[in-house]
Amino acid sequence: MTEPAAEQAGTGGAAHAEENVEYRVAHLRDRLAAEELGELGVRAEIRAGAVVVSGTVPSAQCRETLLRTVHEALAGLAVHTDVVVADNASPDHAEELS
Amino acid sequence: MIRVAAVGDIHMGPDSQGLLRPAFDTLPDCADLLLLAGDLTRHGTPEEARVVAQEVRGLPVPVVAVLGNHDHHDEQPEKVTGILQEAGVAVLEGEGAVLECGGTRVGVAGTKGFGGGFVGRSAGEFGEPLMKEFVRYTRRSADALRTALEDLGRQDCEVRVALTHFSPVADTLAGEPPEIYPFLGSYLLAEAIDTAGADLSVHGHAHAGTEHGMTAGGVRVRNVAQPVIRRAFNVYQLHTS
Repeated sequence: MTEPAAEQAGTGGAAHAEENVEYRVAHLRDRLAAEELGELGVRAEIRAGAVVVSGTVPSAQCRETLLRTVHEALAGLAVHTDVVVADNASPDHAEELS
Repeated sequence: MIRVAAVGDIHMGPDSQGLLRPAFDTLPDCADLLLLAGDLTRHGTPEEARVVAQEVRGLPVPVVAVLGNHDHHDEQPEKVTGILQEAGVAVLEGEGAVLECGGTRVGVAGTKGFGGGFVGRSAGEFGEPLMKEFVRYTRRSADALRTALEDLGRQDCEVRVALTHFSPVADTLAGEPPEIYPFLGSYLLAEAIDTAGADLSVHGHAHAGTEHGMTAGGVRVRNVAQPVIRRAFNVYQLHTS
């Protein structure tokens, strides 16, 4: 009787830890929206045990602020970032709609 | 031929001043007008709106804009609108503007729009007051867009463009999680566009979406969110009869 109970407790604990990562990612998204960036367009998802943060931000300063916030909020977790700054170049061609 | 330049979701803040102006200064060479498809600021503060205003002030092509949800966040959309208007931008909310571009009358009908989702997967006007108001708000936006497009038709515009922030179709949301589509647009906007008729529909809002789409009635839709087009703006050439 002891063994199954221990197993159950172990399973519950692991599930709890996993949930915590999900909630931390959710709170990160809330924080990115609420703080100085007002950022809703960046994606944060759990992939293969790491948190992947990806998207496009309007300026290099925004990218710095974003990465600082991400690493603060997800301290202790494996984090991969793929965040680029918007390209402000003129287009080199037009689309013809006939 | 009319050349329509468009971009949305430029999300300007105090650190953005001057980032887009060099590209905007090239507009007279490649476009007849510039459309701004909302989310011009990050939080909708007057300070951020002044950055946008300065970025487009004095451009030699007409500038027409709608606001986005970010431009409402500070709950001062009238102030944001006023600051942009003072810089010469026509800011539309449920109304149209007629522009003379090289002898061609171009009509732009604009509204921010709102969410609700797409046919078969949409919110209904039912239940709690908040839920009903959510859908009614979108319906009012769509009705105003339809009326504005119809008015432009009566004013002999050779080209009519629908400008929104939220998307009228699901096509241009491809790349976004399907679960959030109801927060990204509504079929009511597309129904309004198809009912009144338009030559082009331009929107923003969906940063991870896709540029190209079409309404059920065959109107071309373009998602010009800057993270999607990856440029300062895109240009669409429309042929006139």
